[in-house]
Amino acid sequence: MEQDLHTQAQQAVSLAKQSGTENAIASVGDENSTEYTYRDGKIEEVKQSTSRGLSLQLYVNGRYSTHQTTDLRPETIAQFTTDAVALTKHLSQDPYRVIPDPALYEDRPTLNLENNDPTVRDLPREVCLDWLKKMDSVTHTDERVVSASGYVWYGWNTSVRVSSNGFSGTRSGTSIGYGVSVTLKEGEHGRPEASRIVRSRHLSDLPSHEQIAQEGLDRVLSRLDSTKAHSVKSTLIVDPEAGGRIFGSIIGALQAQTVQQNRSFLADKNNTQIANPILTLIDDPLQVRGLASRHYDGEGISARQLPMIENGILKNFYVDTYYGRKLGWQPTTGSSSNLTFAKGDKNLAQLITDVSQGFYVTSWLGGNADSTTGDFSFGFRGHQIENGQLTTPVSEMNVTGNFLTLLNSLIAVGNDPNPYTSMQTPTLVFENVEFSGK
Amino acid sequence: MFDQNPFARWFGIDETTTQHILTEALSRGADFADLYFQHTKTTSLSLEDGIISRANTNIEQGVGIRAVFGDQVGYAYSENLDIDAMKAAARTAAAIAEGTQTVPPQHVQLQSPGNYYPINRDWDQVDVAERLPLVTQAETIIRQMEPAVEKVSIRWSDSDERILIVTSDGTFATDRRPMATLYSSVTALKDGVRQSNGASVSRREGIHWFSEPNIRQVCQKAVDRTMILFEARRPPAGEMPVVLAAGASGILLHEAIGHGLEADFNRKGTSIYSTMLNTKVAPDFVTIIDDGTQDNDRGALNIDDEGQPTERTTLIENGVLKNYLHDRISAKHYGVSTTGSGRRESFRHVPLPRMRSTYMLDGPHTKDEIIASVDHGIIADTFTNGQVQIGAGDFTFYIKNGWLIEGGKITAPIKDVNIIGNGPDALKNVVMAANDSQLDDGSWTCGKSGQGVPVSMGVPTMLVKSLTVGGLNQ
Repeated sequence: MEQDLHTQAQQAVSLAKQSGTENAIASVGDENSTEYTYRDGKIEEVKQSTSRGLSLQLYVNGRYSTHQTTDLRPETIAQFTTDAVALTKHLSQDPYRVIPDPALYEDRPTLNLENNDPTVRDLPREVCLDWLKKMDSVTHTDERVVSASGYVWYGWNTSVRVSSNGFSGTRSGTSIGYGVSVTLKEGEHGRPEASRIVRSRHLSDLPSHEQIAQEGLDRVLSRLDSTKAHSVKSTLIVDPEAGGRIFGSIIGALQAQTVQQNRSFLADKNNTQIANPILTLIDDPLQVRGLASRHYDGEGISARQLPMIENGILKNFYVDTYYGRKLGWQPTTGSSSNLTFAKGDKNLAQLITDVSQGFYVTSWLGGNADSTTGDFSFGFRGHQIENGQLTTPVSEMNVTGNFLTLLNSLIAVGNDPNPYTSMQTPTLVFENVEFSGK
Repeated sequence: MFDQNPFARWFGIDETTTQHILTEALSRGADFADLYFQHTKTTSLSLEDGIISRANTNIEQGVGIRAVFGDQVGYAYSENLDIDAMKAAARTAAAIAEGTQTVPPQHVQLQSPGNYYPINRDWDQVDVAERLPLVTQAETIIRQMEPAVEKVSIRWSDSDERILIVTSDGTFATDRRPMATLYSSVTALKDGVRQSNGASVSRREGIHWFSEPNIRQVCQKAVDRTMILFEARRPPAGEMPVVLAAGASGILLHEAIGHGLEADFNRKGTSIYSTMLNTKVAPDFVTIIDDGTQDNDRGALNIDDEGQPTERTTLIENGVLKNYLHDRISAKHYGVSTTGSGRRESFRHVPLPRMRSTYMLDGPHTKDEIIASVDHGIIADTFTNGQVQIGAGDFTFYIKNGWLIEGGKITAPIKDVNIIGNGPDALKNVVMAANDSQLDDGSWTCGKSGQGVPVSMGVPTMLVKSLTVGGLNQ
């Protein structure tokens, strides 16, 4: 299979070269996935797919274009490549567009990332059905449940990348996930809902199905009688599952493209204190079993750990070849991998105890952010905190601010990172945050 | 019929082939099966720092095969259109069913689709050299408009999509769907401060539509929306009256009402609207439509993705909730006709009830009356995101640009605040609506179950008595 992909990628590069391209990069990937949805005692949907696609990057006389196709018949591939090269010749020459420096391909790590779990590749339908039934019986243990769905999905992928300047690499990995979403009846029309979903590369890294289903049910039960609290400036505690929304925006502002296009509020902040010194954030592509672990990035650049924020000081940006050349910066990597945080010494429950007044945010609803200014405003769901205790569930409220102010108002980081995602945020505590409600 | 059909020729299939595949899909006792063939070619161009130095083409081809057994769905797809590959996918889909009887596929009848997006020339007949000037023209216009502009980024995308649908109960339907999108984004520098914003236009149009005035219009929006940010601030936090400007404020309908009326959520009892059919949910002057038939609109469809004709569906008529949006499965559940709302992102996805173009008809008031009636509130003008929780009914939309209203007059500009409310409460609280309903033609994409589909939306100027506005505590 892998050899087959390699041959196809190599042929695509050769074909592109024959069509008049100086340099070309081809990736061919296979994906296999199965998804089950189970609802209220029976299977609702089963979806299976096996999929292959080709993607090409072309460098033609100082010009650049990218192309993808799922039509892999030899005769159509030939036409596709010829058309792609012809199209590229119409574009403007751009001195910054060059194929990545092959020196960046060197010293590729060989550490076993344990991206593959053989159990996942061989999961019988009966096993998945058994899990779904177990989750379904747990989520239906409360009479207020009007509907509960369970999900199981798994799959694997392999991709091969070949470049005309000497790169050749293969990546593969498995993934598996499951979870539930539960809807309750509350009053005449109300249908509060919540979900609990986990995913990993290895089945053995996931909690039991019963536990996940119970957590999903508990979450929605905790939503009953939710109210809107008064607008106030107060303390914000962000659940490990919700922190990704905040750091996703911050990572976006660290992209070289965002910086070069003058749309990053962090553009001129390199080596300056942007956050409380308790914040240390590392991009770690070499985490064993990490969901975004890799030996090389999207450009073929060999993977290495990259400190992004160290003791509150901004240390690095995500720099690819093109925008790096435009900025005059050395490439680091063009895209984020696993993000890990230096841990504090308390978990969520302990951190809540330390707060006299505030809000614990469990999930966001809508909202957006402006990467140029760092301004943001998000809707949220969660609970009120009074004297170190979680009290009323709250809904229909917003939190509003600016990321630079927010990062400086970080007062605690938990020891409880969310392991089921690549953005492994722990509990985060911020003070003096603007909440709007009634 | 198949033999002469250009779509069947395009995909290299005939009726015998499709009958074989459908027979496989029905082989385990499913009561319905369908095939969704798709070929989409998308061409994108990107301009930054004054030159178009990146292009992308994407060809997506494949067939999605669905077997339906009651309300259970088996689904598989294949990118390979060889008969053996398609039959294998069909067997995978078939496994959902545990029936004992099998029904044979029916002979097909050609559906007569609508003709809602006629264009002069299909996008695959347009050379890339004809597209380039549209993109550079947009940049030139923006540069001429405003000297404070530092960076201009223009993104162009057009797609030419061929669809062929065959169902086991005899539907044979084809469609060719154009879409073109121009997105302009601007960063400006003034007194050491930078602001960015953008605007887009997206329609099922051909290249002839992209005239200088139409390009200028979207560029003007991008510049105006950016420059006003230099004077804008955050409004006070809390509940207040919110006026929604005509057009893009239709995002309120989409989030607060539209999703909750998609029949799958109601069939499962998980929508806050599942108990409200034929009840009064809004004042008399509120009539809300979901429409797939508007010419060249981003939400228009000649047929839906189950091969059914699309239509203009009345969701709320004079304040009464009249209809849900149906696909085949939900229509069967409720014993009604489909509303032509079965949509999917691509052959990789199952169809679900989805919105098309959702809008509210004119109300009895005027914009001036509405603004004059507000003592202390805001008017929302442009938006960049929205979301809803179907069951709780809580919805949000993010205001990128707006203004304060003080003493019945529009005063200072505001920016970057999220608005949150509850759908049924907000509907009851629509206290005024003006006679200026208009559709927004921005590049709105609606997400549901991991699938994005193009939509549009619109409203007249309207007033919601109270929503919670993100902002600063005084």
